[in-house]
Amino acid sequence: MATVVVDPLTRIEGHLRLTAEVDNGTITDAHSSGTMYRGFEQILKGRDPRDASRITQRICGVCPTCHAITSVNALDDAFGIAEYIPKDALVVRNIMQGLNAVASHATHIYVLWLPDLANPTYKSILETIDLKPVWDELVGRFAPISYSIKGKAVPLGSSYLAAIPEKKALQEAETVLGGKMPHQTTSIVGGVTCKPTVADIGRIASYYVRVMDFVNHYVLGLDALGVTSDPLETADKWLELTHDVSKDKAVANVLDILGGLPTDDFSREAGWGDIPLFAAFGSELIGETLLGLPASLKLDTIGGYPVDPTKIGFLSYGVYYDIKEGYDPTSPKGERLITSGFTSGDLKYEEFDHNNVTEHVAHSFYTSGNDLHPWSGETEPVKTAAEIKYDDSTAKYSWLKAPRYKGIPCEVGPLARMINIQEPLVMGLAETFLANGYSPANVYTRMLARAQETIILARELKKWVLVDLDPNGKFYTHADLSMAKNSKGVGLWEAPRGALGHWIVTDGNSKIKSYQPVVPTTWNACPRDANGKLGPIELALVGSKVGPVGNVLSTLGAISLSQENENPTGIFHIGRSYDPCLACAVHTIDKKTNKKYELRLL
Amino acid sequence: MKNLKHMDILKLDRRSFLKLAASMGAATFLGTYKADIVRALELSGTNVVWLEGADCCGCTESFLNATYPDVIQAITKLSVHIGYHETLMMQQGVFVDGRLVGTSELNSELALEEYMTGEKPLDVLVIEGAIADGPEGSGMYTTVGGNPFKEMVQRCAAKASYVVAFGMCATYGGIPAARGSVTDNMGAQFLQTTKGGTLGADYTSGAGLPVVNIPGCPAHPDWIMLTLAAIILGKGGLIELDRYNRPTAFFPPDNTIHENCPKRGFYDLGQLATDFGEYEKCLWKLGCKAPYTHADCAIRKWNNQLNMCTQAGSPCIGCVQPGFPDSTSPFYVEMEKVPTLVGVDINTIAKAAIGAAAIGVGAHAVRRIAMKEE
Repeated sequence: MATVVVDPLTRIEGHLRLTAEVDNGTITDAHSSGTMYRGFEQILKGRDPRDASRITQRICGVCPTCHAITSVNALDDAFGIAEYIPKDALVVRNIMQGLNAVASHATHIYVLWLPDLANPTYKSILETIDLKPVWDELVGRFAPISYSIKGKAVPLGSSYLAAIPEKKALQEAETVLGGKMPHQTTSIVGGVTCKPTVADIGRIASYYVRVMDFVNHYVLGLDALGVTSDPLETADKWLELTHDVSKDKAVANVLDILGGLPTDDFSREAGWGDIPLFAAFGSELIGETLLGLPASLKLDTIGGYPVDPTKIGFLSYGVYYDIKEGYDPTSPKGERLITSGFTSGDLKYEEFDHNNVTEHVAHSFYTSGNDLHPWSGETEPVKTAAEIKYDDSTAKYSWLKAPRYKGIPCEVGPLARMINIQEPLVMGLAETFLANGYSPANVYTRMLARAQETIILARELKKWVLVDLDPNGKFYTHADLSMAKNSKGVGLWEAPRGALGHWIVTDGNSKIKSYQPVVPTTWNACPRDANGKLGPIELALVGSKVGPVGNVLSTLGAISLSQENENPTGIFHIGRSYDPCLACAVHTIDKKTNKKYELRLL
Repeated sequence: MKNLKHMDILKLDRRSFLKLAASMGAATFLGTYKADIVRALELSGTNVVWLEGADCCGCTESFLNATYPDVIQAITKLSVHIGYHETLMMQQGVFVDGRLVGTSELNSELALEEYMTGEKPLDVLVIEGAIADGPEGSGMYTTVGGNPFKEMVQRCAAKASYVVAFGMCATYGGIPAARGSVTDNMGAQFLQTTKGGTLGADYTSGAGLPVVNIPGCPAHPDWIMLTLAAIILGKGGLIELDRYNRPTAFFPPDNTIHENCPKRGFYDLGQLATDFGEYEKCLWKLGCKAPYTHADCAIRKWNNQLNMCTQAGSPCIGCVQPGFPDSTSPFYVEMEKVPTLVGVDINTIAKAAIGAAAIGVGAHAVRRIAMKEE
């Protein structure tokens, strides 16, 4: 029995500490702690509400655009003009959000998550079982900066190296409409400040082509597979096989592709693009059982949940406006391209109703009331340094509150979104896992969902840019500050990493009376609640293997259990698979009065 | 690094090194002096430790957007070794039963320890994000590996040859230190416009400089790449700083964004927008703070020289000015119509935050517009 603490969990945004009790290689208990406390709600109080869309972007520099748009959604609602926002302005917001989401996903996949597959533990294992060529691919593609193994510098991975310029290109494409990135400047209440020209459309299109060329060659490897080498039809071709078909067919098509690849040459040129390589070797069920590969990283066996609807659900608020005049700020089912919804832990969908949200603080560094609906929520933190401790899990141990939906902890993010829209490939895989005794949600499906959503967005982006964006359109409708007197508004949207909501209340001078963001990582990385229910990351850790021993190869003995605790790849993979962003996830106080300050709306 | 510091590679006078580098653009600059750079690099790589406190990661994102050189070129061609950067590094902190385990190749805490103990030279310390002092001066509002972030900054700063605060939060406190904040967050050597901060007013790094402040929300990647280039070339000691310790090459005391704004022509013609959607007009009356803001955004532009705030129809929000966001908000209200800014007398703001603009072109612009209105 050992206590393994990962702090800081790097290659995420912000400061996260994961604590695991490990017994003979298996995690038996886990705690997740946010360790930074910054706070925006109090800083926003008393300000001009229009400033909120500039200031709240600064919550997160990786996904500023979604905060900007969530904020203007709340403002459009508070100003009473959501139904009048011009169609063309919504197209511009969709394009900016889409580009930022793709950039954020690409960053997560290549810069933050995949480097873990270049962990030296896999070198020991894969070399021992004659899969050194697979290790060579993993380290050769995904090694990050300043990395060395046993004193020897490891060159930057080829995919890592190729991805950074593309991530940059995506930011540049958004800059054409957004002014600059990060922290674009053009989303405002009433629409957007920019007026795209024909030249701008051409410019974004040229960025699109170069990024999709990367997707074609590196990510999917469609050129080597002989499917297509045309960047403009890359997304269509992939989705024809995996998205525009039934669930069964989507899974069968992917198995067909993977099954047709050579097992004596794992190079990109042989058809093993990054996603095919991950899709085959990442999963025990897919790789070993169905494809007959000699080994896999067994990422489908970790980071899952018990199939128990009282312990976990999958929540989305909905994102990407329908292309029409105006929108409904409450995001009812079917109103957005990726719809809102709640799917239970045993995969039953129901419509999302935000009245079902409450927040717990039993294990959070706050002393205010527990299990309150955000409407009547309170935020009163501990006030002394001595109370800020992360090693007593029976007490308070995180700056994150614990949001619950009908009392259920919820995973949010690409996997939750793909489940809520019943995306064929992801749902097909999830149901396949469920039918074979695996958790439908696991590290493997979580990562594939992110990749699949990226391709879906790529196809939509092409349409938004080339078909829907009208340079002669109208991009703004008048919004006067006086319209925001004694008002309130809700912004429901999705960050790349999950459901994002902003709630605003204004006073008689049209100033901000209260402003409450509830962000994705608060859902995913939250601590236990008053009923002892674990947060999603905590729940995902419990029962998972701490490292590959007894997992990738149980009889091997290449790595001892104590070595495993020192290099707990299971914790790394699981924690990072949620793409945590801790900066967003903490609350704030009014130290001067220490009063319970806010009426939070939901 | 010590050798480099005394090399006179470029034979430039002390005022002009960064100005030249900035005006030429990093690509041209590095191209022109490539031979010198190669010579310099034969001597040593440059170890960079990059700490993140109360931040949004936006400045790291911005850094990854660098163009000439880009990050990969900086690492591979300029031999910049990023020894510690939580968002990018392979390592993470790992404790087993309370003990740090493994080696610095996989354990970030051990990797940082090598720099904090002086085992490896810490050439450049980059700080991103504000530094929490609260509660009760403990710094516990931000911890890494169980320790206050504040202590990490202090320990690293004690060993660093150069310290660069990158972005509004690390320089002056930024949004985490704005009105309403309760965390006692501050910048490395300033709190808003007041000298002090976490390291204290008298701090100097190993090379004898105060913290080099590169503000912006986020800061522009060229600003840090060119500063790093100067340091790599042994010219870090020659960086000229203004009274807020910003490099004057990028934040000229006598010039504002307004002077080279793409919409400047409309201003000169008195064509001032009164609402968004009036595209061919100056944004002054919509709250643009460019006449008060000292930065080269209008010349350098953003994201590979593509665009900038005012060009995209959005007023400048003054995000490089000490005191941002309080000193430059409300963002969408014309400066002349703001009798008091967030409870602070306009004169105080003018002296403290707008700084040299009061006697520069910015004030001139204000006067001209005011006269035109009458």
